[in-house]
Amino acid sequence: MSVSRLPPVTLNLKQFLQRQKVLGLYRNLLRTIRQVPDEADQKYLKDWAREEFKRNKEATNQDAVRMMITQANNHLEELKRSLALAGR
Amino acid sequence: MASRVLVHCVRSVRLLQHSGGVLKSASRRSLSLVSFRQPSTWISPVSSPALQLCRQYCDSRPLTLQSIEERVMNVLNLYDKIKPETLESSSHFMKDLGLDSLDQVEIIMAMEDEFGFEIPDTEAEKLMTPAEVVQYIARKKDVNQ
Repeated sequence: MSVSRLPPVTLNLKQFLQRQKVLGLYRNLLRTIRQVPDEADQKYLKDWAREEFKRNKEATNQDAVRMMITQANNHLEELKRSLALAGR
Repeated sequence: MASRVLVHCVRSVRLLQHSGGVLKSASRRSLSLVSFRQPSTWISPVSSPALQLCRQYCDSRPLTLQSIEERVMNVLNLYDKIKPETLESSSHFMKDLGLDSLDQVEIIMAMEDEFGFEIPDTEAEKLMTPAEVVQYIARKKDVNQ
């Protein structure tokens, strides 16, 4: 039997794309949080985002992940909207 | 033609001398103003006009490979999940330092903060060791030595 060179855990295409999406979302969220004027708020939001992503990083169920992505997108939109209202 | 150029030169030199004289007298005046004000004891030295006028504009110091590396290492040392004693410029963020992809995103964002420019997503994913980060920043900022 030939030894596979692939690492023990490999992602299929769908999972891979989902992973990219999550990472992009995280980056986007952190970038948006940077525009928050108050330092303390910024730190709080950053910690919150970090915590939330870390807590669910083991999730493998694709539907669950998709739901969480949608949820995060909603949060991001909301944050952007309130930043726009605050004139930032 | 040559004489015209010569005349032009002489004129510009004269103009320069003239304006220099104006400048000199102006500075003398401001100096005398300062010396006139200084004897009064209740004016604190900080608020003297000479000090307020002295405002210097400057650019940040030019980057070198060494300074980039120092700053990158400094940022990484300040990051709470990396133990400074295990950190080397060739250590892989995930394999050697035990970070996950979310931490890596955070590190790249911290680098963006430190150096003041944005790293696009496709490039950011590939930066996995401090040495690669240094190399990438040097390339983006046109630093060769």
